[in-house]
Amino acid sequence: MTFSSRLIRTFFPIASPVLLIGLAFIGNVARAQSAASTHPQLAKLLAEPLPSHPRPEGQPAFYTPDSLYQYIDGGADVYLLYDFQSLMHQEFKSGGAELTADIYDMGKPEDAFGIYSAERSPKYNYIPVGSEGYRSKGVLNFFQDRYYVKLTGSGTGTDTLLDQLAHTMSTRIGGNRALPAVLSKLPQLGRVRHSEQYVRKDPLGHSFLAPAYVVTYASTPKESKLMISVANDATGAKSRIDQLTKHFKQTGECTPAAELGENAIRAKNSFEGSVIARTQGRYVVLLLNPSQDGAALLKSAALALH
Amino acid sequence: MNNRDWNRRDFIVKPILWAGAAGVLSRTDLLLAETASSGALLERTLGRTGLKLPIVSMGVMNADVPGILRHAYELGIRHFDTAAVYQNGRNEEMVGSVVKEMGIRDKVVISTKIGTRASFQNTAEAKKGFIDRFDASLKRLQMDHVDILYHHGVDDADHAKSDGQIEVLASLKKQGKTRFIGISTHETIPVLNAVIPLNVFDVALVTINYTMAHDAEKLATIEKAARSGMGIVAMKTQAGGTVRPDSKLPKELPAESQTALLKWVLNHDFIATAIPGFSTYEHLEQDFSVARNLAYSEPEKKFLADKAFVAQAEFCHQCGECLADCPKHVNIPALMRSHMYAVQYRNVSMARQTVAEAGGLGACADCGECLAACRKTVQIGRKIAQLKELALV
Repeated sequence: MTFSSRLIRTFFPIASPVLLIGLAFIGNVARAQSAASTHPQLAKLLAEPLPSHPRPEGQPAFYTPDSLYQYIDGGADVYLLYDFQSLMHQEFKSGGAELTADIYDMGKPEDAFGIYSAERSPKYNYIPVGSEGYRSKGVLNFFQDRYYVKLTGSGTGTDTLLDQLAHTMSTRIGGNRALPAVLSKLPQLGRVRHSEQYVRKDPLGHSFLAPAYVVTYASTPKESKLMISVANDATGAKSRIDQLTKHFKQTGECTPAAELGENAIRAKNSFEGSVIARTQGRYVVLLLNPSQDGAALLKSAALALH
Repeated sequence: MNNRDWNRRDFIVKPILWAGAAGVLSRTDLLLAETASSGALLERTLGRTGLKLPIVSMGVMNADVPGILRHAYELGIRHFDTAAVYQNGRNEEMVGSVVKEMGIRDKVVISTKIGTRASFQNTAEAKKGFIDRFDASLKRLQMDHVDILYHHGVDDADHAKSDGQIEVLASLKKQGKTRFIGISTHETIPVLNAVIPLNVFDVALVTINYTMAHDAEKLATIEKAARSGMGIVAMKTQAGGTVRPDSKLPKELPAESQTALLKWVLNHDFIATAIPGFSTYEHLEQDFSVARNLAYSEPEKKFLADKAFVAQAEFCHQCGECLADCPKHVNIPALMRSHMYAVQYRNVSMARQTVAEAGGLGACADCGECLAACRKTVQIGRKIAQLKELALV
């Protein structure tokens, strides 16, 4: 037996596991670096150190508009409506808990708010995280700046771990924490908290009204929906209310309502119910199922946007 | 629900004159096409379920406006499809709320879907998780049962045949929490071939649209499933919608494109009903008009024969078989994806990013004619030329 073969036979049993561990480490670092290089903004949101140091289970998975359906199937369509850019999915273990972090990059804060608002309900348990967030057992979702973050977990201490993870990520995201500016101008009286939505496509079933903000008001037992449709200019807003008038004339009834303001109408049909609407500069202000105070709410909203 | 079988002698034969010239319509379109002589609603039976449904139903997925569901019911739609994952459960809440408000539970067929992970099937924990999530769906729907419960988004044969999953679904059916069980899939051929022999699933929800006109194997597999007794519900029938993202691309698809695409699907008699997803009153009324008339109008025939649309509708399957043809080693599948982002998803920024990740279009600049040939139907050279026109680099 040669010296070299003796050397190999002596040291291989010791060296090989060390080599394998080293290669695995290098591989993990390379893959992590690969994630960091291909998705740097997302990768840094879950980079170590994380609170309680949860252990990543495998490598993060990334999804694009093309592949998102592989993760959430038909649920992907609504994300695409809001101009979804990419998703990072990572699983963790921490003690007796298993966690999942899904970070959706929606490209713009308004779109992050839009998709977040499409999935949340006023009845959820809201907590102070990010721009806005809510929690239920094993779930914590929030949005901030261009990101929509969805965290889930099960096992011991999950809620605490999710809280810690959410706040760490919120700090790292930084950026714009405000809700869309239009919403802050709208009347507060009777407003159902956490009912605000930014609807990019077909608000209230009408493509010509997009994009629009929709807020629920509940000053009477029956809820009303206040919609602010955002056109490019006053001419665009007039065109939108003209199309709305045409729709209601075809499906029900519609009459001018000058007492309500600029280009105002009253309308109704069998499936949408009653509507009052007017323009205010570049906006169409519409109230679906108005209460007795509806006219005042409509005028108040329009004035706030002036 | 009326269980009377559909009688094909009731319908008028109407030849599709453009089919031969265009060469793009399926052979099924040359067979009997249905036209209700009096404009009455066309109905078909959903396989062994015996449920008789109008051929146009509603995929509620993209709708969050109760008025659209109310109007859909007013027009005659009787089947509404939702899923636990849509809008984080709020879609089911809306469906349940409208059905309850209108008092129509016994007049409609409601389906929902629960997904599972392929890697996590046969454990007691997985089964319990599925049952818990379904119970949450029933709560949101405000119902004690649904009519069809789908195993959602199953794209692998082994996943489809999972004993544990089938056991749970069968158990829920036995308990009366669902009247029928189904499977939804985007990988039609392997999944349907796996489940047909099992004779367990009552319904299959499959992707079928005009972009598959040349895919004889896929169409034959769906038909085989139907003939085995499974009710077939068609999804993704509109193949991406009407909007074009850029003025340099061919202009927005004409209105008749949507009814043409839906008619093409429903002119396959093994499809019981389709669930197009509309989110406006206009689209609802337009799509539902197909439920009274499957004959193609002249503009619809013209649209389906339009070679420009056929070129655009030829989706890349990302198989990579074309790569060997390209002397410049261009990442063709990535460029085809980029084209899809630009044309189908209306996401020009994503298209630009994908072109960049593929290394740009510089390698294609010197080639007079693209040498890569798609083994399916994609016109690679044409799509690359369109990408250049979009100035995505």
